[in-house]
Amino acid sequence: MKKLVGQVTPVERDEIQRLFERRNGLNELAKILTADNTELYERLVADMGDTGMKFQQWWDRMAAQYDWESAPDGNWEINFETCEIYLVTP
Amino acid sequence: MLQYMIILLDDASTSFCHYEVPSGERRLIHLDDLRAAIRLAMIENLTIQFVYPDYELPQEYQEVIDTIDHSDIKPLLAVTPDADVVTINGWEIDNKSLSGRVAVLRTAMSELLAHTRAVKDLLAVVQRLNVVITDLTTLTDTNREAYMHWLNEVGQTVVELYINGQSPQFNLLTDRMMLAAMNNCGAGDTCITLAPNGRFYVCPGFYYDDPENDVGDLRRGFDIKNRQLYKLNYAPICRQCDAWQCRRCVWLNRHTTLEVNTPSHEQCVAAHLERNASRQLLTSIRQKGTFLPDKPEINEIDYLDPFEKLQER
Amino acid sequence: MDDIKTTESSWQSGIAKNITFIVTKDCQLACKYCYLVGKNEKERMSWETAKAAIDYILGHEADFPEASVVWDFIGGEPFLEIELIDRICDYLKTEMFRLGHHWFNSYRFSFSTNGINYHTPAVQAFIKKNISHLSVGITIDGTRQKHDLNRIWKGGGPERGSYDDVVRNIPLWLEQFPGGGTKVTISSADIPYICESVLHLYSLGIHEVNINVVFEDVWQEGDDRRFEEQLFALADAIIDGGYYQDYACSFFSEHIGKPLDPEKENQNWCGAGKMLSIDAAGTFYPCTRFAAYSLREKKPIIIGNVRDGIDRNKLRPFLTLDRLTQSPQQCIDCDVASGCAWCQGENYDAADTPTIYQRATAICLMHKARVRANNYYWNRLFRKLELEGEREDYESNKRTVEPQNC
Repeated sequence: MKKLVGQVTPVERDEIQRLFERRNGLNELAKILTADNTELYERLVADMGDTGMKFQQWWDRMAAQYDWESAPDGNWEINFETCEIYLVTP
Repeated sequence: MLQYMIILLDDASTSFCHYEVPSGERRLIHLDDLRAAIRLAMIENLTIQFVYPDYELPQEYQEVIDTIDHSDIKPLLAVTPDADVVTINGWEIDNKSLSGRVAVLRTAMSELLAHTRAVKDLLAVVQRLNVVITDLTTLTDTNREAYMHWLNEVGQTVVELYINGQSPQFNLLTDRMMLAAMNNCGAGDTCITLAPNGRFYVCPGFYYDDPENDVGDLRRGFDIKNRQLYKLNYAPICRQCDAWQCRRCVWLNRHTTLEVNTPSHEQCVAAHLERNASRQLLTSIRQKGTFLPDKPEINEIDYLDPFEKLQER
Repeated sequence: MDDIKTTESSWQSGIAKNITFIVTKDCQLACKYCYLVGKNEKERMSWETAKAAIDYILGHEADFPEASVVWDFIGGEPFLEIELIDRICDYLKTEMFRLGHHWFNSYRFSFSTNGINYHTPAVQAFIKKNISHLSVGITIDGTRQKHDLNRIWKGGGPERGSYDDVVRNIPLWLEQFPGGGTKVTISSADIPYICESVLHLYSLGIHEVNINVVFEDVWQEGDDRRFEEQLFALADAIIDGGYYQDYACSFFSEHIGKPLDPEKENQNWCGAGKMLSIDAAGTFYPCTRFAAYSLREKKPIIIGNVRDGIDRNKLRPFLTLDRLTQSPQQCIDCDVASGCAWCQGENYDAADTPTIYQRATAICLMHKARVRANNYYWNRLFRKLELEGEREDYESNKRTVEPQNC
């Protein structure tokens, strides 16, 4: 089930969209980059950790700021077009 | 509306603008074509400008030419007292022979910058000097700076000439002060060129590029397709520009941007350096006394290429 | 308008730089309406050329300030060169990351394919590897009859349509790209099949049909009326069948058919010049439509190459082009101007002189027919929604009639 629980500003949306895109890019890069390319591989691993952390921090920060409704098994989703936040539950 | 017909009397007629005349055999216009062109100019109410080669024309040609009011554009070597415009290619100039004349000096940028004294001397004797920089498209950040300094230095000479009671006309510096609106290349709009092959072209440069690229002939008449594109209103960059003295060379436009209505970055930058130097010149002359009281100041602007201004919108 | 589905705008539309690799000029098909007049089997992009193009583009980041990029692959049929494309995309990903290029945070790989090779292991492996950055459109023209009318296999012998070879891949494609849309091109001979074809595409599970008439001067007398009749029938079918809630057809847009303000609505329609297209020789074009193989009458417009880079002077006419400067008076004065499209490449190809500043008007009557059909569609649909109480804002959205014109 999907329920509208809030909305962020376009600036806040841009921040998470950039992180979302970067995370996807890193994940797909990880499929082709091998450990023998040491320098780039290490950069990739570090970046994945860093981006993942920033990604989670954004959700934590926004959740605290807007006090969105939550559910034990649920997770939030954002619609990049409308900046709307949905609570998705099984 | 067409107002002028430029007639190239020979394939080797002198260049008075940016285009180069290819070295090749002489080919004089057919006498019948010359007569037909003069008749057409009369019918269409066009003023004729004849462009001469560097050799003397046969007597019968001169007789036909003299059947209509006209202007003569002649190379320096062929100067006779009746030349209205003299074209100069090179720096071996006998200033005395140019006294009181309208001169077109064709030069590369580096040559121009190296002959400051010669230009100053010319300005002191000619009625008007038009400088055509033949390699304008190679303007770089380096020679752009040098050109700006050169304009300001020659501008000081212009100030002195004014103080001495002379009124030099110099396309790169004084035109912008005198004008009240754009005054640029009229090729395709107010001017059309007849080549020695009896066909019409937007300007001589288009003829020398490709003789098949004609816009009519003496039998068919004028056939300028997309003629609106030669007008200022159909030039998005130029119609909002105030470098009114810019040559806005249609032929160069076509060469550099592939469109007759769109100038290159280099043409815009050069024109704006000239505009800004004119601004400084106007201020300097006015510090010496009243000058062109009915003309407003030339505004200070923060760009050299109006294209960039357009892109910001 | 929650209750009416509209066509989706493309990813980062208007923000992204579109860079097109013409990886091959070969195709399995010989579509009768194809604007690519110079297709051939010889001109295939080499890896060296592709790499040189990428190195130039990524090495000049300041010249490409757009926030996002769409790396577009076309042909011919792009998936004929899937090995090269895979190598290009791997290199792009690696280099964007290695250089710290801003596009690493916002890119897509885009494909417009005839769908024939879609199921092959090589294409499928590529899709799985890059799924979160892919946009893939499969071209299918409609019913078997309509599709096979134009989209036929290349080669001698009896004419053979490609419908079955494409349709078998539609379920897999829609599974991987649930919002996938198809592109349909209408020429004179296709008009009688428009209504049934759009409905057929809906029945295949395609929810978005992007359809347009060709810009070329192919239209016969009476085509506009026949076109209008087809759109009326399609409008009735969409409204009566309730398709408007979940399916979209780009022929019907609420925003077309109105006069345009000469000052506020003077922008160019086409994005040529803001895009960059690269062919097998490493030549740069302002759009693929300006490459030699796309042009009937004119010389290509070349704006540079992978060795010398982009000649920015050649881009100036494209970037300063506006609606009024290129339009004839009839278009400037047109009462139904909005939504009337043009292709800069076709304008150039059809122009009296080698210019992009002469707008072709071959689609004039077809656009007017589309506007009439749109008026009918929206008036009928709004009325239906109003009567069903599903459209509270009906009155506020209704087209207003100026009293002085009554």
